Amino acid sequence: MNLKVLKIKTWIRDNLDQIVLSLLVVPALVLIFTFQLIPSAWTIWFSLTDIALVGKKALNWSFVGLKNYLDMITDIDFWRSMNVTIQYCAVSLVLRFTVGILAALFMTLSKVKGKILIAAIFLLPSAIPGIMHPYVWISMLEPKYGTLNTILKFFGLPPQSWTYGAVVESLIMINTWAGYTFTMILMASAFKSIPREYYEVAEIYGASRWQKFRKVTLPLIKFPLILCLILIFKEDIDDFTYAYMFTGESPRPDFKTELLSLYAYHKAFHYYELGFGCAVGFVIAIIVFVLTLLQLRVARV
Amino acid sequence: MAMSGILKKIGEPSYTLLEYVVLITLMMYVLTPLLWLLETSVNTDPVPYLSIPKGITIDHFIAVLTNRPITGGYAAHPVYMTRWIVNSLIISGTTMIIVIILAVLASYSLSRLRFRGKNLLMTLILLSGFMPRMAMILPLFQLCRTLGLVDNLIGVAIVVASGTLPTQIWILKGFFDQLPRDLEEQAWICGCDRVSAVFRIILPNVGPGLAVVAFMSFLSGWGAFTIPLILIRREYLFPISLGIASVFIHNPGEIGLVVDYGPTCALAVLYAIPSIALYILLRERLMEIRLARLEVR
Repeated sequence: MNLKVLKIKTWIRDNLDQIVLSLLVVPALVLIFTFQLIPSAWTIWFSLTDIALVGKKALNWSFVGLKNYLDMITDIDFWRSMNVTIQYCAVSLVLRFTVGILAALFMTLSKVKGKILIAAIFLLPSAIPGIMHPYVWISMLEPKYGTLNTILKFFGLPPQSWTYGAVVESLIMINTWAGYTFTMILMASAFKSIPREYYEVAEIYGASRWQKFRKVTLPLIKFPLILCLILIFKEDIDDFTYAYMFTGESPRPDFKTELLSLYAYHKAFHYYELGFGCAVGFVIAIIVFVLTLLQLRVARV
Repeated sequence: MAMSGILKKIGEPSYTLLEYVVLITLMMYVLTPLLWLLETSVNTDPVPYLSIPKGITIDHFIAVLTNRPITGGYAAHPVYMTRWIVNSLIISGTTMIIVIILAVLASYSLSRLRFRGKNLLMTLILLSGFMPRMAMILPLFQLCRTLGLVDNLIGVAIVVASGTLPTQIWILKGFFDQLPRDLEEQAWICGCDRVSAVFRIILPNVGPGLAVVAFMSFLSGWGAFTIPLILIRREYLFPISLGIASVFIHNPGEIGLVVDYGPTCALAVLYAIPSIALYILLRERLMEIRLARLEVR
């Protein structure tokens, strides 16, 4: 008995460093578990019930198994909105990433002067309140007095119907404008954290521009790069603020703006089928889950 | 002589001109929509699209900063503008402190520990926030009501922090992983214990990473909208993002229901100042990497 206690004591003493180190991660895990995983599990549970937002079914709901999921995959609207979402997310990902990287380059590595002013200007879209984004962009896209059509008129070009005909293009334009700052902030720091000495050493060995990028820059920024791609995709598939602004409380007749997340919102909060909305939410989470694992595997981080 | 100079220029093209063209294009994309915001905040006669102001006034800014009641369709709303600014600062400051402390602890630990299933744990942390927020509204509200976090600014900060924490742990772990291990081991040899090695050697060298985490967590608290919308009921506890929506916009998200464009835009302009100031401050203080420091000692 005593020997056992002694054994445990020695083990603790020998591994004290490791034990303290592993305890440091606990507070973060507790917070994440309580406020992310518990509500998520709750949502998954809701997706297996016929709970409604209001009315009788809001209180007296019952377990229905996978009915919501079966209803979903047989709903033509679900597949239409899946199609919309894939196109939107793909284009948006490329643009948000490219603009963000370019902005980060201008803020850090480029030889252009006035970096602080450049940084301040590039930060503006994320510094103004998100609630103002729709109004700012309505001033741009408004068909009669909007800034874009005024510019087109000035150059003698025909005005466009940004909010109707080119609505997906407008959506992507707004989302890129509002969302490139994440990539910019993260990549600016990643560029800054590459020690200059590495490039000096590379130059001594006579490395070319491309070799310097391939052998010094890329390995050091690969991790944040992949993280950007993962998180941009997650945000795009999750967020329907701008799609909602062109749509409202019920789907548009042409269905062009019905992203999966908006489809879930309409089901949960317009048709009050909360359980069904939660099921769509879980499907979105699974899509992100699979794509994230795929990206991590491909990038080997 | 001059000719060969020009030939040389053509031979190895300088990227500067191209850079300026790209930069100006990007700036126009970023700034053109914002012209309306700036113009409306000083226009005596605000309209929802870009126009040449008939007169310029700072009245809207004064109205915002003196809590003057709004004379519009929904005049019944009390205005606690200065209080809202304080609330927002409390929420974003608390979020920032929680996230920095917890993310530094967790990511340092995850970067240095070696155990089976570490990659699995990291993946789980990253994936923990992947349920769409919209689907979590009801459970989150019920959970916070049970824990007494409704109508509680610190409660909002905790929930916001839990949402951004996974991302920040991942970002910071990347920066920690990048540091050569010898750096820390050298510090131990020089007589530093683990804690002082972290403060004197490790943290100064992940400055850019700390800057990202500090700025992003501040921004997630400052810009938080959905979570305060769920958790805060009393109007004097609103953060500024929610305050703008409640006073000026009858139904947030629906277009065309703004009551008063002038003060709204003035408030939006004021709202942008703290984030930009913080970023510039962090940039000055944290973005310079100091890898040479140990070699000097």
